[in-house]
Amino acid sequence: MAALVTSDMPRAISSPAALVGLVGSACYRWMSAVGRGARFSADVLRATGDWRSWRGEFSTHARILGVESLPIGAFIALFTGIVLALLASYSVGNLVPPYFVGTLVQKTVVLELAPVLTGLALAGRVGANIAAELGTMRVTEQIDALETLTFDPMSHLVVPRVWASTIMFPIVVGAAMLVGVTSGWLASLTLLDITTPQFLKGVRIFFMDFDVRYGLVKSASFGAAVALIGCRAGLTTEGGAQGVGRSATRAVVIGAVMILVLDAFWAVVWLTGHTIR
Amino acid sequence: MPDRKRNSDFRVGAAVLIVTAALIAAVVWVKQADLGGRKTDLVVRTRDVGGVALGNPVVIRGVRAGQVQGIALGERGWVVLRLRIDRAIEMPSDPVVLLVASSLFGEWQATVSEYAGVPPDRDLRAALTEARTTGDTLAGAMLPDIAQLTSVAGRISGDVAKVAERVQVAFDDKAAKELRESIRNFAQLSSDLARTVNAQSKNLDRISGDVQAGLKAVNAAAENLNQFSGRVDSATSRGELQAIVNNSQQAARELVATTTRLREIAEGLNKTDSRLASAVSRADSVFAKVNNGQGSLGLLVNDARLYRNSDSLVMELRALVADVKKNPKRYISVKVF
Repeated sequence: MAALVTSDMPRAISSPAALVGLVGSACYRWMSAVGRGARFSADVLRATGDWRSWRGEFSTHARILGVESLPIGAFIALFTGIVLALLASYSVGNLVPPYFVGTLVQKTVVLELAPVLTGLALAGRVGANIAAELGTMRVTEQIDALETLTFDPMSHLVVPRVWASTIMFPIVVGAAMLVGVTSGWLASLTLLDITTPQFLKGVRIFFMDFDVRYGLVKSASFGAAVALIGCRAGLTTEGGAQGVGRSATRAVVIGAVMILVLDAFWAVVWLTGHTIR
Repeated sequence: MPDRKRNSDFRVGAAVLIVTAALIAAVVWVKQADLGGRKTDLVVRTRDVGGVALGNPVVIRGVRAGQVQGIALGERGWVVLRLRIDRAIEMPSDPVVLLVASSLFGEWQATVSEYAGVPPDRDLRAALTEARTTGDTLAGAMLPDIAQLTSVAGRISGDVAKVAERVQVAFDDKAAKELRESIRNFAQLSSDLARTVNAQSKNLDRISGDVQAGLKAVNAAAENLNQFSGRVDSATSRGELQAIVNNSQQAARELVATTTRLREIAEGLNKTDSRLASAVSRADSVFAKVNNGQGSLGLLVNDARLYRNSDSLVMELRALVADVKKNPKRYISVKVF
């Protein structure tokens, strides 16, 4: 520890007391960010009650954030399913019966890859979209004008985006699940020596509807997190066009990280001590 | 703006409905859910379900007929299973349910069969008998699977490990080193023994050959002895042996006498030898004198003139004798009266 506190380090952490203070400051900043995020989420929930203000915008944002994201999710799942089937056959081809390819494809796509990969892709598209749109409104003082006209920016701008993202993410992910398993099945038929009954046996033998619920709930949380982070980044934009770019970048990075954090969170909450039985 | 909003509403609604319907249809299809009420449930009670899980197949006479729909803990230590099978399937008479592992990869199945067709295992039949009850609940039992056999094998291997540990305690490093040294010595001894055996094998072969030859000789001798014994027997029986003994005694006596004579002859020869030595000594003396020209013989030997005179005399005597023979009257005049 003494080796770390050298003369070329800042004077502020040259003493143990200053180091303790630095740790405290970092914790304060981190907890402040968490607190601001929690307060922002609470404001969104509060504003949700004013449904007359945001229901008109919901379908528009649902179309932009969800329906127009379906091709991306399907495209990702298409190749994910093919690769998974080939990987399963390559990894355990001679060790287990061929129908385990179906099991592996179904379990992996439904439980993990479809929600996470689609979520990461949408974190870039949706998060950046929301942050750039709201950031531009912020730097062009459109949001200030709304506040001046006594319109609540939360209910008019944030809530429809957050709920549209939260609801449409599972739709995109559900489509990705279907496309992923189907592409894995077609890959098994055409590229591997696996028949349809064998693949279906593998899919059915360990299938539980819990898998689908788990993936959809997880993707809904991803959608909410991505939208909240994008909205927060957009509403706190400062400094013109550069600030908008920074906000979009920050929204994408934090959104992607938060997707992985939530993925681990749901795994701990729902899969710990939960076997396939 | 309203058209645009309606367009958005329609597209969102269509996407949500289509994806939701497709997802539900896929789940229903994969789970083979009973939507038309064509299924019926069987209730089974058993003490243990082993590795049976929800969704595992129900098999009747080797054909998949449904799946395990529910597993729950019952009263008094029972486990209650709910099997969903096609309503149209005809159940075997006196049905029981066997929970068996269908593969080595953790897959289990519930097999519905007749009680009479259950494997003749005493524990299995006892478990089924215990699980029988009145009503529609079927009796169930679990067949031991490879995992249980593996656990037994694991327990055995644990015992073996304990024994090995004790052996390891008994055989510490020093003992192991000594054992290793002993083995090495034994190996050396074996090597020496093998070399010795190789070296001695030839001698043994030769000895065995000699022994064999000796045995043959012994056999021949024994045979000869046998013949000799026969002859002895025959000779003894005819009195020839007494004669031989008598002759031998006579021969011995004659041999003694001959030896005595030989001894006397030897003594005589000793005397003759001494005489002969004396004679030789004398002859030597005579010859010495002759060589020295002493005496008449010495003169005759050493004086060539005397020899020639003598020879001439002899010749003249021969001529005289011849002349006498030829003309006896010249020299002899016989007158009678």
